[in-house]
Amino acid sequence: MIRTLLTLLPQRGRVTAHLGLTLLSVALRAVSAVLLVPLVAALFGPDPERAWPWMALLAAAIAAGWAVDWAVTAIGFDLGFALLDTGQHQVADQVARTRLTWFDAANTATARQAIASTGPDLVGLVIYLVTPLLSAVALPVAIALALLAVSWQLALAALVGIPVLLGAYWASGRIGRAADRAAARANSALTERLVEFARTQHALRAARRVDPERSEVGAALDRQHGATVRLLTMQVPGQILFSVASQLALLLLAGTTVALAANGDLTAPEAVALIVVIVRYLEPFTALAELSGGVESTVGALRRIRTVLQAPRTGSGTARAAATGSARVELRGVGFRYAPADPPVLDGFDLTLEAGTATAIVGPSGSGKSTVLALLAGLHEPTSGRILVNGEDTAELTADDRRSLVSMVFQHPYLFDGTIRENLLTDAGDVDEAARLARVDTIVRRLPDGWDTRVGEAGTALSGGERQRVSIARALLKPAPLLLVDEATSALDTENEAAVAAAVAADRLGRTRVIVAHRLASIRHVDRVVFIEEGRIVEDGPVDELLDAGGRFAEFWRRQDAAADWRLGTKT
Amino acid sequence: MAKRGFQGAVMRGFGARDHEATVTGTERLAPNFLRVHLSSPTLFGDAEAAPTAWLRFWFPDPDGKDVEHQRAYTISAADEAAGTFAVDVVLHEPAGPACAWAVAARPGDRIALTSLGSSKFELPEELPAGYLLVGDSASIPAISAILRTVPPEVPVELYLEEHDEDDWAIPVPGHPRLRTHWVPRRGPQSLAAAIEDRDWSDWYAWAATESGTLKHVRTRLRDEFGFPKTELHQQAYWMYGRAMGKLRAQSEEPEPEEAPAAAPPEAPEPPRDRQVAWRSQAGGRLLAPLRSALIAAGVVQGLVTLVQLAPFFLLVELARRVIAGEERLWALGAWAVGLMGAGALLSSLMLLWLHAVDARFEQDVRRRMLDKLARLPLGWFDARTSGQVKQLVQDDTLALHYLVTHAVPDAVAAVVAPVAVLVYLFAVDWRIALVLFVPILVYVLSMSVMAVQSRAKTSQALRWAERMNGEAGGYLEGQPVIRVFGGAASSTFRARLGEYIAFLNAWQRPFTRQKTIMDLATRPATFLLLIVAFGTLLVTTGSMDPVALLPFLLLGTTFGARLLGIGYGLSGLRSGLLAARRLQVTLEERELETAPRAQNGTEVSKGEVSAGTVEFDRVGFSYRPNVPVLQDITLTLEPGTVTALVGPSGSGKSTLAALLARFHDVGAGAIRINGRDLRELTPDELYTQVGFVFQQVHLVHGTVRDNIALAVPDATDEQVERAARDAQIHERITRLPNGYGTVLGPDAALSGGERQRLTIARAMLAETPVLVLDEATAFADPESEYHVQRALSRLTAGRTVLVIAHRLRTVTGADRIVVLDRGRIAETGTHTELLAGGGDYRRLWDADGSSAPALATTEEHR
Repeated sequence: MIRTLLTLLPQRGRVTAHLGLTLLSVALRAVSAVLLVPLVAALFGPDPERAWPWMALLAAAIAAGWAVDWAVTAIGFDLGFALLDTGQHQVADQVARTRLTWFDAANTATARQAIASTGPDLVGLVIYLVTPLLSAVALPVAIALALLAVSWQLALAALVGIPVLLGAYWASGRIGRAADRAAARANSALTERLVEFARTQHALRAARRVDPERSEVGAALDRQHGATVRLLTMQVPGQILFSVASQLALLLLAGTTVALAANGDLTAPEAVALIVVIVRYLEPFTALAELSGGVESTVGALRRIRTVLQAPRTGSGTARAAATGSARVELRGVGFRYAPADPPVLDGFDLTLEAGTATAIVGPSGSGKSTVLALLAGLHEPTSGRILVNGEDTAELTADDRRSLVSMVFQHPYLFDGTIRENLLTDAGDVDEAARLARVDTIVRRLPDGWDTRVGEAGTALSGGERQRVSIARALLKPAPLLLVDEATSALDTENEAAVAAAVAADRLGRTRVIVAHRLASIRHVDRVVFIEEGRIVEDGPVDELLDAGGRFAEFWRRQDAAADWRLGTKT
Repeated sequence: MAKRGFQGAVMRGFGARDHEATVTGTERLAPNFLRVHLSSPTLFGDAEAAPTAWLRFWFPDPDGKDVEHQRAYTISAADEAAGTFAVDVVLHEPAGPACAWAVAARPGDRIALTSLGSSKFELPEELPAGYLLVGDSASIPAISAILRTVPPEVPVELYLEEHDEDDWAIPVPGHPRLRTHWVPRRGPQSLAAAIEDRDWSDWYAWAATESGTLKHVRTRLRDEFGFPKTELHQQAYWMYGRAMGKLRAQSEEPEPEEAPAAAPPEAPEPPRDRQVAWRSQAGGRLLAPLRSALIAAGVVQGLVTLVQLAPFFLLVELARRVIAGEERLWALGAWAVGLMGAGALLSSLMLLWLHAVDARFEQDVRRRMLDKLARLPLGWFDARTSGQVKQLVQDDTLALHYLVTHAVPDAVAAVVAPVAVLVYLFAVDWRIALVLFVPILVYVLSMSVMAVQSRAKTSQALRWAERMNGEAGGYLEGQPVIRVFGGAASSTFRARLGEYIAFLNAWQRPFTRQKTIMDLATRPATFLLLIVAFGTLLVTTGSMDPVALLPFLLLGTTFGARLLGIGYGLSGLRSGLLAARRLQVTLEERELETAPRAQNGTEVSKGEVSAGTVEFDRVGFSYRPNVPVLQDITLTLEPGTVTALVGPSGSGKSTLAALLARFHDVGAGAIRINGRDLRELTPDELYTQVGFVFQQVHLVHGTVRDNIALAVPDATDEQVERAARDAQIHERITRLPNGYGTVLGPDAALSGGERQRLTIARAMLAETPVLVLDEATAFADPESEYHVQRALSRLTAGRTVLVIAHRLRTVTGADRIVVLDRGRIAETGTHTELLAGGGDYRRLWDADGSSAPALATTEEHR
């Protein structure tokens, strides 16, 4: 956690200054605590007037402490704002370099929170968490050391007390957290059955199984109830351990003081004053215990940032590649799995795409065709095997050069909040021709602001088909040697079908094209069809040849036609 | 600025910023109601034009004296971006400063105003049963804003006090479910007395009237109707006859809570004949059985807290004895050890006991929840996401656990400790005790100044948080695009992130000084200095025994931290009570009941049961009272026929289908299967007759076989396999690691289409004569669609089928097509008949391009 914090705080000088001033403030506080000894002793002595000089010193120490703390807080806020700035930007940068496979539902939620809702917490992180934590640990040490000047026996006892009390604090938190975890586990085991019961109500009612299932769940709840109670009692020691330890410490230190006074090592007023100092010495520990409750959201924010910053990054090399003309692409023995524990989606997959050709990848859902496309696009990295572009291993390329090799039409076109022109991301290229091919020109004509119409958040101001066409134009405009198209599964209107066909048809850049297709219309113009099933190429050849062969591909298309013609209520 | 008097000085102290507004025009909306249009380029940097929000104007003195009068006016219209807004002024005689200014106002006139302190009407997440609005001409601008905010389906009762006949002419925006009652003022009681005496359970009341009237309205709402504090917003907008004959000086200051102790003349005791119950108080009802246990725990925790403070009292005593040179010090040590042990023991026992109480209580709550879930209408589950159900069943019970076992003791400890210390210190020496409040005062003042100054920013911050959440979601979702098209694609996100950080900077930076002051003021060192300085003074002047200083040195330094900890200690209660409320609301939800069998109903013999005739008899239904979703649906489904429901999204076709599966009960009319009313059938009887296959697939945890044979657990393997073959899923099952014995889960996951086929197999085996279907539309690939279609064709053969159709083409072969439009049957017939008829169906068909995708892919399902 500390390391995360330090990586986010590049201003080393300010960090050091903050640390130094915090320690100075602690020292001043220790001095003011120990100054109480002569002061209180004087007040209880025969001549209370003698307390005034000490009083003046104490006031000076405290005032100096204020001044130092003022500076500490100012620096703390500065650091907080710096943390906000670097923290948010680093997270945003890291997100753009994290492996896409890392973004499962939980991690995506974490990343989203790390970007969207940690800001306010970061600002206060230093002054509400770091400074108090530092002070709380350092102050007892400082007071104990300052006590050396008054009574070495008490100073020694105080020094010994520090690890004991911190240990109790740590153990108390640990036991408490373990108990909380156990309770949460037990609780979720209990409630999961209930959630499941609620989730399956439709099925249970339709199957007339509600009552038996209810008594079964009820019995399970009863069985687990006893176990839960036992687990919950673990909470108790954690909750009283620290409080008992600090009271015990108070008792022992006060006892030591009184004993010293009884032996004549200390005068009575000195002993009384020292009792006050002991209480001062114990205060930071209590503050520490109270701190732990209030800073959870801050710690949570830091934890989320750390989670994102530690996510695996995409690899890149140093080799350069020319992003012009056309590309010959080879997948050699490529294997891929989304997570180490998952079964492989692809294993030993070989495919060669000749330069300037158009290839359609077809197959049932889950066959791995989208994965192949994502690997070609560089969105995923193969877990084994290599991908070569014009003989160059893509893993060796710099991130920019790797990116410059491909352009892509996504299945769910994501546009960002900006104008249509901005979304095309280009000042080069023949905008008009691409717009005509992708039928964006008709959209632009319809819209009041033409090319400068804002597409709204995530493109929501346009219809689904219009977004798709803008994304096709965007892909056509990027002059990359490899063009990938992931066709939408839902039905397309005629304009869209034409736009997709235009993207795949021979383009004037002569690039290598690959389309994951769902419609016969989209693959009419390809040179070759690759039919994939369960991560393997089952059939490979020109469209007509495969249709004539009557294999899996032919059957696939026949079924699609049948599905399109299906009518309910007429007997099949 | 002296001309603004004390009020002006206070406001400046709170950091109120003056804005200058220019009149752009006036508009007489009614004889006594003038709208003034204004423009201020700077105002909306500070203010938010939320519903019912007001601005404080500094009006010149009508008699030309050199003073300014502050009056608050509700923003009745605003364009934040353009910096223009309007306020409505009620005109009256004799005119007050605001009225006089407004009448004389001409375009180009300038006026000073501030936006300090305002109110904001917001719709809660869970809407109340209705809104009861009480006001008069002065609050009509605010009431208008509320009426524009309240959704059309929520009823609104509006009571307006009439002071002048012209009041009637003031325009009030329309609302479909608004009922307005004008009540002439005959005295401060007349408006309150006019409010209908009825059951207002779950209503929210908003009252802003003249202050005398408000007292009576408040009494009536709170004491007679039982409105809880949280469901009642009340504010006096002006005072009758105040300010030297100036009849209406609209003032936003709420009247002091303590109304003169005049007993309400109407009813001294709240009538108890009506069972009133607010959802907002549901938490209390759930926790009622724990009341005595929690009180006991609070008392014990109070004792424990005192015992934990005891060492400090003992230390004072110890010091006293040491100074006095007494010998018997060990007795004190023994006391200390004894008290410590007692405290630890007591606190452990209490925790254990609370855990036991909680465990029993939670088990009971879970039991009741289990029973409830089994009886709730299925529509209840459809109206909620699985996340919401999980939150209710899982997170809320956990929050309840925290509430019972921790939050109550924590809250008691947080309150008892500072109070005990305070009482003790005041008893020792009230002078020094009083000094301890100086830093607290500094803290509270800085805090309220900050709260006031950042109010506008706080709501902006909420909007920013929402916006950034969306932006972050988009940035994450758009990652593949950004990866392929490079950094330029993320430039808008980066710009927005920069703006957000700049906003946080601009918001928080100015407060760093105040926060530092607050922090330093409440440090132990500050308290120490005050105690020692003041104490030394008192001791040296001989007016205090030095021993009296010890309690302050021991307990006084952390007094600030303790006192400020109260808020934090109480916060744990709030979330727990919210959870309790949600749980209880669910437990009080209406259940499906089985009505006793009507005697005049025709007896149906066993043989006829399988016939599967369904009659809809003048069926009506609504989710909220008076917002009909279906009306007067009369329809008979003949045995063995397919009836298709078509219509645009929102026409009620999904709701109609859901009624046949009894996801909800009809509001009017009846649905009969083979002559028997649906409501007379037990769930088990009903679902032997009616099966359903909807888009939402519900698999139970278990093997493939368990899932198929759910309704017929003793089915033979052959039967299960035949059902699977008919549902086109047998072949896929054999490819699973363990065939029919495979437990479905992450390792043996089925695709959406496959899961759908599995539920079709289940319905196949259940063999219900009546079937409700949703013709699914979303498929990952055409092959999957093909299999599902074939399975559906097999399933529907020979049954009475009611199908929700999204694509007209798929139901062209249906025996009958029912076209729904806004909850009514528009026309029925076969495809050919309807096409020839040239009605709604014809139009739908033509719009559909006779083939293209869907009318609506997502249904109006609720």
